[in-house]
Amino acid sequence: MGAANFRGGVHPEHRKELTASLAITAATIPRKVVIPLQQHIGAPCEPLVKVGDAVKVGQMIGDSEAFVSAPVHASISGTVAAIEPYNHPLGRKVTAIIIEGDGRDEWCSELEPVEKVDDLSPEEIRARIRSAGIVGLGGAAFPAHVKLSPPEGKAIDTVIINGAECEPYLTADHRLMLERPEDIVFGLEVIMKALGAGRGIIGIEDNKPDALRVMRQAIEGKSDMSVVALKTKYPQGAEKMLILATTRRRVPSGGLPLDVGVVNHNVGTTVAIAEAVRKGKPLIERVVTVTGEGVKRPANLMVRLGTLAGDLLEYCGGLREDTCKLIMGGPMMGLAQPTADFPVVKGTSGILALTAEEAAVYENGSCIRCASCVKACPINLVPTFIAQAAEHGLFDRAEKLHAADCIECGCCSYICPAGIPLTQWIRIAKAEVLARRRR
Amino acid sequence: MAEQEVLLTVSPSPHLRSPENIPSAMRDVLIALLPVTLCSIYMYRWYAVFLIAVSMAAAALFELLFRKIMKKQATLHDCSALVTGLLLALCLRPGTPWWSVILGAFFAVGIAKELMGGLGWNRFNPALFGLVAVTLLAPLYVGTTATFAPLRQFFGPLDALTQATPLALIKQGLYEQISLSRLFLLSPGGALGETSALALFIGGAYLLYKKHIRWQTPVSIIGTVLILAIFWGNPLENIASGIPLYHIFAGGLLLGAFFMATDWVTSPITEKGELIFGIAIGILVMLFRKALGPTEGVAFSILIMNAFVPLIDRLTKRPKFGEVPAKKAAVAPAGTAVSKSN
Repeated sequence: MGAANFRGGVHPEHRKELTASLAITAATIPRKVVIPLQQHIGAPCEPLVKVGDAVKVGQMIGDSEAFVSAPVHASISGTVAAIEPYNHPLGRKVTAIIIEGDGRDEWCSELEPVEKVDDLSPEEIRARIRSAGIVGLGGAAFPAHVKLSPPEGKAIDTVIINGAECEPYLTADHRLMLERPEDIVFGLEVIMKALGAGRGIIGIEDNKPDALRVMRQAIEGKSDMSVVALKTKYPQGAEKMLILATTRRRVPSGGLPLDVGVVNHNVGTTVAIAEAVRKGKPLIERVVTVTGEGVKRPANLMVRLGTLAGDLLEYCGGLREDTCKLIMGGPMMGLAQPTADFPVVKGTSGILALTAEEAAVYENGSCIRCASCVKACPINLVPTFIAQAAEHGLFDRAEKLHAADCIECGCCSYICPAGIPLTQWIRIAKAEVLARRRR
Repeated sequence: MAEQEVLLTVSPSPHLRSPENIPSAMRDVLIALLPVTLCSIYMYRWYAVFLIAVSMAAAALFELLFRKIMKKQATLHDCSALVTGLLLALCLRPGTPWWSVILGAFFAVGIAKELMGGLGWNRFNPALFGLVAVTLLAPLYVGTTATFAPLRQFFGPLDALTQATPLALIKQGLYEQISLSRLFLLSPGGALGETSALALFIGGAYLLYKKHIRWQTPVSIIGTVLILAIFWGNPLENIASGIPLYHIFAGGLLLGAFFMATDWVTSPITEKGELIFGIAIGILVMLFRKALGPTEGVAFSILIMNAFVPLIDRLTKRPKFGEVPAKKAAVAPAGTAVSKSN
């Protein structure tokens, strides 16, 4: 049997060799962190501390009454120096709690460690994951407890752990699978317990045979879990593609994985959930792959949330002079940053410094209708038609062409021989179509 | 902090791009045309070289000229004019007068492509448009075959030039004069690009391998012609005589199916659209061959269908991802199937 697959997709160069063999090391604890009050999809947090307050590592410093939200915690011990808008990697300024460290790294534990999954009820698991501030660490940053609370009538039978890591360059999840397999298996057990799901699947792209081997060993004796080798292809780790490849189920257009009885969690999220249960540890750090030809010493680092990208890059030897792009996330879906003065947030899977040689230049040529984008689109769109509609402001037509279904994976732009930034045009169309639906 | 002298570019994702671009794709088409080009040169010697050289040079010059007049950037580097020039030459018979070739290139690149807005904007396949223009204007220069004489003086005589085309022989019921195997491997008669079916299959296979074309168009064209050729008349007799295979190997069918109907710009964009397009072309080709003269049936068929491409594109929507057909829903667990129907 071949590796699990889906139709469409592209094959960008992996470039993972820069960091794949480097074990996760802890970055130095920074003297200052910037903790944005919104690092997740949903309602922003309200600060729970005031300027001048002393805080300890793990202390909840921001929270919200809203269900779709996740609290934030201090990631270093020290004093609240300011609460003010600060650069956010998503491209705007967001109110952030700035902590000046005292260098003592004093922890406070608000959650009791729990040894066994059975000691917690599903409700307790959800409450714990919420108070630990865990969100999707793959990049989307959707609050994890929300995904673990399916509405009435939606039975979840399958949990899929996303170890595809299909974005080129990134190796954070790969390293976690190699170094923390027990945590991943424990986290999966917790998630399955919370959802009452009878089946757990760990999907891993087949360009990581070592991770496949380690994870297969780790689930030995667990009959309700399986490890599935996925064909190495971008965007294999996209939610809809992963579900299709591993279960042959298709998430309905406009629907969610739970509509087909599935919940997805990323490897990093799963480790965070395991730590929240076993150690009572809130989400105050994560693995970040700092890489790209522009970085002098690429690395997989355990980074305290709120560490400024500039400090992290300096820790990695600084930027080479020919760096032309700084990206938060992977090269296919990540966000280009105008400066390194932004904090690592919960969704920061990587910080990439690309040289002019690596980074793409798009020239917006004329479409030659070669259908490359059509073949590449994993969700069956005709990207070039939507882009043309968007270019001419024909948003009704864009809607009829299912613009709202676009998952913004970037395959169409990547493959277009004319260099048309198709994904960007479709984003414009999608935003407009969704805005009109809301009106 | 990062060194401030590093100037960062901010642009939307993705930040990587495939190394494939228009010039590289066009170069692949030229490579795919190499086998049949070599076969035509082997068969027609200098006549073929002359025709190909004139056609490619004229196509490139007309592109430069038209873009210069329209004050647009030169696009010679995308190689599309060279592809058009070569395709046009492959559609012509050896001995076609040089000025006729230049006229063809003028219509192909100048009128059909550049006046329409350049590469990507043309409705009709440029090379076929040029070919048909030359064919329709042929009465203008009937009797001027004298221009052909100096060429013969120059290049020497060649028997292959005066061969009747295989399709004409089929039409007259004289197809036994050429064996199928010769037709498949290497045989004279007709245009430069009709010298070897095998060479065209190799070129087509290369384009399929490089994923520049999809199987839908060539398979539907060839399949339709094959089926119609079998069932037009007495199927048993047809099969026994091998006529269906003659229909595929002879004339411009393979050149059309692999290189003309698959032209990105002038063919449908969806897989289903390509099937409709290909079947319609196959039907038209057989109508032309059975009902009309044995000349340029493939070219006319493809050009006619080129006009239908926008309509076909509109009618062939790709299925929305996640529109679950009834039988697929059964795979999902009972509980979710119920909730989905709500």
